[in-house]
Amino acid sequence: MIETFELTKTFKAEDIETIALRNVSLKVEKGDFLAIMGPSGCGKTTLLNILGMIDNITSGSYSFFGQDVSRMSEKQKTELRKRNIGFVFQNFNLIEELTVYENIELPLQYLGVKRKERKKRVEDIISRMKISHRKNLFPVQLSGGQQQRVAVARAVISNPSLLLADEPTGNLDSMHGEEVMTMLNELNKSGTTIIMVTHSRRDASYSRRIVHLFDGQIINENLNKMV
Amino acid sequence: MVGNYFKIGYRVLLRQKSYTLLNITGLAIGIAVFTFIFLYIQSEIRYDRQWSGHENIYRVTSEYNVDGKIEKLALTPFRLVDDFRQEFPEVEYSTNMFFTDPSDINDVSSVTYKDEVFEIPDITLSGQNFFKIFDYRFIEGSPDSTLSKANTMVISSSIAKEIFGNETAIGKKLSTVVREYTVVGVFEKKCRPTHHNFDAIVSVSSIEKKGFDRLKKDWYWLTCYTYIKLQNEVNIEDFAFKFNEYANNARANSSREENLNIDGYFTNNFEPVSDVHFNTELQYDSPTNIDVTYLYIFGIIAAFILLTASINYINLATARSLKRAKEIGIRKVMGAFKRQLIFQYISESLILTFISFILAMSLVEFLMPQFNQLVGKDLTLVGSIFSGEGIFFGIILFLMILVLALVGGSFPAYILTSFNPASVLKGNYFISSRFGKQQFSAGLIRRFLVTVQYVVSIGMIISTFIIYAQMDFLKSHDLGFEEDNIVVINTPHDSTFKQRFNKFLKTLDKDNSVSGVTSAHNVPGYTAGKMLFYIGDTSEQNIQTLNFYGIGYNYFELLKAPLIQGRYFSCSPSDDTLSSYIINEAAVEFLNLDTVIGTSINIAYEDKLEGGKIVGVVKNFNFSSLHKDVEPLVFLLNPRQSRYVLVKYKDNAEEAAMQHINKVWKKFNEGSFLHYTLLETKLESLYHGDKKMLSLFIYFSVFVIFISSLGLYGLSSFLIQHRTKEIGIRRILGGSEKQIMMMLAMVYLRIVLFAGIIASVIVYFLMSNWLDTFAYHITINGWYFVAGILITFLISTGTVLIRSFKVVHESPSVSLNYAG
Repeated sequence: MIETFELTKTFKAEDIETIALRNVSLKVEKGDFLAIMGPSGCGKTTLLNILGMIDNITSGSYSFFGQDVSRMSEKQKTELRKRNIGFVFQNFNLIEELTVYENIELPLQYLGVKRKERKKRVEDIISRMKISHRKNLFPVQLSGGQQQRVAVARAVISNPSLLLADEPTGNLDSMHGEEVMTMLNELNKSGTTIIMVTHSRRDASYSRRIVHLFDGQIINENLNKMV
Repeated sequence: MVGNYFKIGYRVLLRQKSYTLLNITGLAIGIAVFTFIFLYIQSEIRYDRQWSGHENIYRVTSEYNVDGKIEKLALTPFRLVDDFRQEFPEVEYSTNMFFTDPSDINDVSSVTYKDEVFEIPDITLSGQNFFKIFDYRFIEGSPDSTLSKANTMVISSSIAKEIFGNETAIGKKLSTVVREYTVVGVFEKKCRPTHHNFDAIVSVSSIEKKGFDRLKKDWYWLTCYTYIKLQNEVNIEDFAFKFNEYANNARANSSREENLNIDGYFTNNFEPVSDVHFNTELQYDSPTNIDVTYLYIFGIIAAFILLTASINYINLATARSLKRAKEIGIRKVMGAFKRQLIFQYISESLILTFISFILAMSLVEFLMPQFNQLVGKDLTLVGSIFSGEGIFFGIILFLMILVLALVGGSFPAYILTSFNPASVLKGNYFISSRFGKQQFSAGLIRRFLVTVQYVVSIGMIISTFIIYAQMDFLKSHDLGFEEDNIVVINTPHDSTFKQRFNKFLKTLDKDNSVSGVTSAHNVPGYTAGKMLFYIGDTSEQNIQTLNFYGIGYNYFELLKAPLIQGRYFSCSPSDDTLSSYIINEAAVEFLNLDTVIGTSINIAYEDKLEGGKIVGVVKNFNFSSLHKDVEPLVFLLNPRQSRYVLVKYKDNAEEAAMQHINKVWKKFNEGSFLHYTLLETKLESLYHGDKKMLSLFIYFSVFVIFISSLGLYGLSSFLIQHRTKEIGIRRILGGSEKQIMMMLAMVYLRIVLFAGIIASVIVYFLMSNWLDTFAYHITINGWYFVAGILITFLISTGTVLIRSFKVVHESPSVSLNYAG
C-alpha cells in the first residue's frame, strides 16, 4: 500500500540546513497498524506528514497504492489525500468556528458528497462515537477527550483506507486516552490501515509493528510482542 | 458549500468582536465620508449639463486687453443677440439675460397683486429665446411662446404659489413701481442644477424705447449675459474666430463714427455652458461659481479617506488572518483546494464590506441634514444616487465597494493559501517564492500602507493649520477703513423715494445711538461698477475702463478712509455732484499722472459727457475680497442714485440703533420691506467659500486621523499579541514596564517622521499654490509642520501605549504561557 525508498527530507532556513529524515525506506501493507516511536526531534511527525502528503520530500521516492506521489501536483495530492487518508492530531485541530456536526461533516463537503448523504453518514458516526447530544456544541465547549473523539470521527467519516495519528493521546488523561486507542484498534480490525506516531509504550502496544526512528533514520523495526 | 462560507464568515466575525467592530467602524466611516464628498462633487459637476443639447450651448464673455493688462468679464453688450441672429446662420438661437447684482441678497423687487405687496428676490430681463435654449420645465404656459411680448413676466413655481396660492397664474397682473406685467408662464426653478439664479424673468422688450435704442447700438456698455445655441457640428474655434473678426470691424467702425479713441482691444470668448459654474476668473459672474481645483482636491481627499479605510481593512485582515493560518492548514489537510479557501475568505470580506456599506449609507442618510447645512445644498442620498439620473454614479459606488471586498479578501487569501499545510500546523509561516523564502510577519507591505496613512493624516493636519491661519489673517487684516458698527440698508425700489431721500437721511442721523449716516451706490464687499473714463485734456485724452463707486456725502468720513491728497467731496462752496472725482492710490499709479489734483476726467453719462476734475486721493482700501489686490477705483459723488444707506452706530448701541432705523423706515417707506445687513457680516461673506473649505478640511482631518487611529489600534493589538512572549522574556530579564512600552511605541516614531517629511513637502507645494490665490496671505510657518507631525506622533504612540499597557503590566509567566 505504502512504500518509501531512501526518502530524505531537508529543511532550509536562510543558511541553516536541517536533515529531518535520512534515507528512510519503509513498507506498509493494507490493514497494518504501525507505530513510529523515537525521541523528540527525531523526525516522526515529519515522516507522518510526508506519508499524509501534507509535506514534500527532498529526495527519494514515495508511492501510495503504486502511484509515485513525488511526481504529483498539489491538486493531485489533495485529491488523493481527501479520498484515502484521515488525520488525527495531538491537539485535535478542530475548527473553532464550526460545531461538532460541522467539523465532522467537513471532509464530506470537500469530497462533494450531497447534503442528504452527508447528513446520514454524520448522524451515523456521531451516534457510534456517542456524541450525538453534543453535535451542536463548539469545540471550546468540549473536554479534551470529547474533542479527540470528534477528531477521530472527522478522520474516519470519509472511510479512508489509511488513518494517520500524531500522538493521539498526547493531550488526554489515561482514561480518555484508553478510549481513543480502543477506537483506533477497532478501526484497524475493521480494515483501516493505521500509522501512529507516539511516545507512549502503552499506546504503541496496540500496534502490530513498531518502527524506531533516531536522528531521522530508522534504527529498528520489530513486531509488537503484545499482539 | 457557498452558504457554508457565509455561515462561517458570519461566525468568525462574531467571535472576533473587537476586530470586527474596529474594521466595520473604520470602513463604514470611510465609505460614508467618501459618499458625502462624492455626492458634493456630483452635485457640482452636474451644473448645466442637463439642458437639451448642452454641448452646443455657449456663454459669450468679454476680454479687454490694455497694455498687457487683461480684464475678463462675464458681461457683454446687449446688441450681440441681434448680431448673432442677423449675421450668423450657425447660431440656432441667441438670447441674453440682464445682469442683476448677485453679491447683494437683499436686492429684492416688490410686486403688488390685489393690493398686497410681495417680494421677488431676483428679477431679471431676457429675450424671447431664453427658454428655447434653457429648457426649464414649465408648470403653466409654454416655453415657446413666453417673453415675446412687452410687459410680460415668467415666474417660478414657488413665487406663483406664494402670490396666487392654488389659482392659475397665467393671465394675472403683477405691478411694480414702473409698470404692470402679465404672467405668461410658471417654471420650475430647481428642475436642473444651473448657474442661473432668478425667480422671475421680464421680457426685454419691456424696456423703455430710449434706453432700448441705445442698448441696441452700443459696443462698450456691458449689461448682459449672452448665450447662444449653435447648430450641430459647428466648430466653435472657427466660429469664435469668425465672430471676433466681425465684432472687431464693427467696433472699429463704431469708434470712428462716435469719435472714440479707446486704448486696448476687446475679444469675445465662447465658454461651454457646462464650464460656467467652474469659472472664477470673470468679473460680474455668479458668486456660487467654484474653482474646479477644489473639486479635484476634495476628490483626492475622498480617495485618500477611502484608501485609508481600505488600508486599515487590508492590514487588519492580513494581520488577523495569520491567527487563522492553522485553520487554513486543517482545511487543506481535509482536502480543500486553494480556490475554495480563497472563495471562503472573499465571502467573509464580502460580509464585512456589505455590513460596512449598509452602515455607511445609514450614516449618510442620518447626517445628511447637517451635511447640507455645511455645504449649503439640498442633497438627498436617494435623489442623488438611487434615482434615474444618478443610477450610473450609484453603480460606480457599488462597484467600488465590491472591488474593495475582493481586494481586501483576496490579499490574505492568496498569501495564506500558499502556505505549506505541514508548516502551518507546526506554526511556521513561510511562503515560497522564486526569490527564496520570506518571513511573512516581517510586515514590509503593512508598514508601507501605514506610512501612506500617516502621510495623509499629517498632510491634512498641517493643511488645516495653514487654512485656519489664513482665515484668521483675513479676519483681522486691516482693510484700510473701519467696517465695525455699520448697517447697510437697501433703499426701496420706489421712484418716489428720491423725493424724500434727503429727509430720510437726516432723520436717520437724529438719534443718540447713531454717529453718522451716508449713502452710496457701491459699498465695500458689494460689486463695483465699471465705466469708461476719459482722462486728461481733450487733446491728449486717455480712455480707460475703470472701477467706479457712486457715493454720497460723508462717505469717506463715515468709513474713516484716510485722504492723502486734496480734499473730500463737499456741497459747498459748490456741489461736487458729478463734477468732482476722488481716486485711490492704485488709480494714481495705474494712470501714471504727472499731476493728480486738477486732472480732468470725463464720463459718458446719459448721452452727454459729464466733465470734472480730480479733487482728492484716498489711501488704498480693500473694497473687495482679499483674494485680489487693490484695484484702481474712481469715486464720484451722486447721492440721488444711491442703492444703499449706511448708518454707523455707536459702540454697544446696536439694539437702540436698529429700533431707531426700523421706526424711521416705517415712517418714510410704509409698505416696503426693510432689508439690511451689517457691513462686517457682508465682508466676512466674501470668504464664505474659503470658510466652507476650512470647515470641510477640519472634518476631513478628524475623520482621517480617527480612521488611521482605529487601524493602528487594531494593528498594534495584533503586533503586541505576536510579541507577548518576547515581552514576558524581556520582563524576566529585567526590562521595566516603561522601557518596554517605549520600545513598542518607538517603532512608530520612525514611520511618523518619515511620513511627516513626505507630507510636509507635498503640503508646502499645494498650500503655497492655494495661498497665491490671495493677494494678501500669511507666510507658511515651519511650526505648522512640526505641530502636525507632533500631534500625529502623540496620537499614534498614545494609541499603542493604551493597547500595550495591559500586556506589559501582566505577570511575565502569563505572557510566556500565552499560546498566541
